[in-house]
Amino acid sequence: MAKIIVVTSGKGGVGKTTSAAAIATGLALRGKKTVVIDFDVGLRNLDLIMGCERRVVYDLVNVIQGEAGLNQALIRDKRVENLFILPASQTRDKDALTQEGVEEVLDTLKETFDYILCDSPAGIERGAQLAMYYADEAIVVTNPEVSSVRDSDRILGLLSSKTRRAVQGDDPIKEHLLVTRYNPERVTQGDMLTLDDIREILAINLLGLIPESDAVLRASNQGVPVTHDADSDAGQAYTDTVSRLLGEDVPLRFHEWQKKGLLSRMFGGGRR
Amino acid sequence: MSLKMDSATMAFTFKGGMLPMTIMELNSADPERIRRQLAGKLTQSPAFFQHTPVVLSVEKLNEPHLALERICAVCRDHKLLPVAVKGGAEPVKQSAWALGLGWFPSSDGGRGRILETVDTENSKPTEPLPAPQAASGELAATRLYRGTVRSGQQVSAAEGDLVVVGAVNAGAEVLAAGNIHVYGALRGRALAGIHGDLSAGVYCRELHAELLSVGGNYKRLEDIDSRLLGAPAEVHYSAEQLEIRPLV
Repeated sequence: MAKIIVVTSGKGGVGKTTSAAAIATGLALRGKKTVVIDFDVGLRNLDLIMGCERRVVYDLVNVIQGEAGLNQALIRDKRVENLFILPASQTRDKDALTQEGVEEVLDTLKETFDYILCDSPAGIERGAQLAMYYADEAIVVTNPEVSSVRDSDRILGLLSSKTRRAVQGDDPIKEHLLVTRYNPERVTQGDMLTLDDIREILAINLLGLIPESDAVLRASNQGVPVTHDADSDAGQAYTDTVSRLLGEDVPLRFHEWQKKGLLSRMFGGGRR
Repeated sequence: MSLKMDSATMAFTFKGGMLPMTIMELNSADPERIRRQLAGKLTQSPAFFQHTPVVLSVEKLNEPHLALERICAVCRDHKLLPVAVKGGAEPVKQSAWALGLGWFPSSDGGRGRILETVDTENSKPTEPLPAPQAASGELAATRLYRGTVRSGQQVSAAEGDLVVVGAVNAGAEVLAAGNIHVYGALRGRALAGIHGDLSAGVYCRELHAELLSVGGNYKRLEDIDSRLLGAPAEVHYSAEQLEIRPLV
């Protein structure tokens, strides 16, 4: 049975799309048939991050409005087998999505995929609520920053009240915390919230921690999900995150600040 | 977003609710006296008598038998809609049921039972509370909430105490007619005694509250002595201001 996972945050710019792309790639690399859906109608980005922007013909809105079939809109990833992208429309607005339409698309995808990732738009309005409504699990992306943590807290409240599982009284959505842009050095200096602070306030299971990294920016601009950059700290952190999502017990990395020694300064070390 | 699926699959759902209810406290069982007083009130404030549901409280009457049917008729003549009877002996209960009205036990009896088992030092004084809403149903009114109250959420106990086993996060709001207990960090807003009960208090394991209020008297985070923050604390109204003390 396919799992529907929403990647959400409330606040914009915290790394939802980067994380959705990286985790979808990681799942596909582990042999899971995965599709990642861009719910950010009007502000589509996922296709850029996935590097398939030149191959978009039809999108989610076309499918929901019956203008194209699902198979026409799904884009097969060029790098990994088993990975598909369902892009958002750049010209429509979020009202073009209907709850029934989204349900139909998800039900069809469930028949053939193992994992369905929904990349939520920022905010708590209709688009974000539609992206989360049918989810079985949620990955809440948070930066070590007060406003991001508060918005994530708000999203967690909605996840427990405005989703199908909540409305129908089924088992609650499984909530995961993904902390991104974590800079252990700045945390130590007191510029950022510590991991413990975030975990205490949000009180949900920690799925992963992604260090602030040049590799993420590089990956975004090249259109190659950072999971492919296996030498980078962020790429490894996303790989760890995917392993935990699959139920494996992986120790946390990259959360402590190590002053660079002479050798790592000379040779660049493993972390870039 | 529409939540149509819910109503489509179920004919109805039961929900716990706390509705404001007018209680008509009877000092006399004489229907004619009631009629005269109602007629006077009707001319003073006609807007009030719009088929307003009322609960007839007969707690103060020590009569085993009441002319309940005639009292109800008088009320209906003046556009008051009796929905239930509160207090009274067994015959009163039976005749209320016969008239299609609900029956609530007398709160005095209930209160007496509670006081036997609760530490009297921490319980509220037994004199009637100022607001009419607070006077109804003190029994079993404590609301227990387990889990984190998150930003944007509001948890309230409209009649009694509120106990939160978990944290109240920034941007969340907890309200109670009585006391508020937070077994966790209190980072949001906490308003105790929302119907005007100045004897209510707020208790928490870790004080970071954005706002504290007892019976409408409030303090903002900025007004709170920073030495009290981050530690267990209790908040009361005394000497015409909010007093925040470390909880030991």
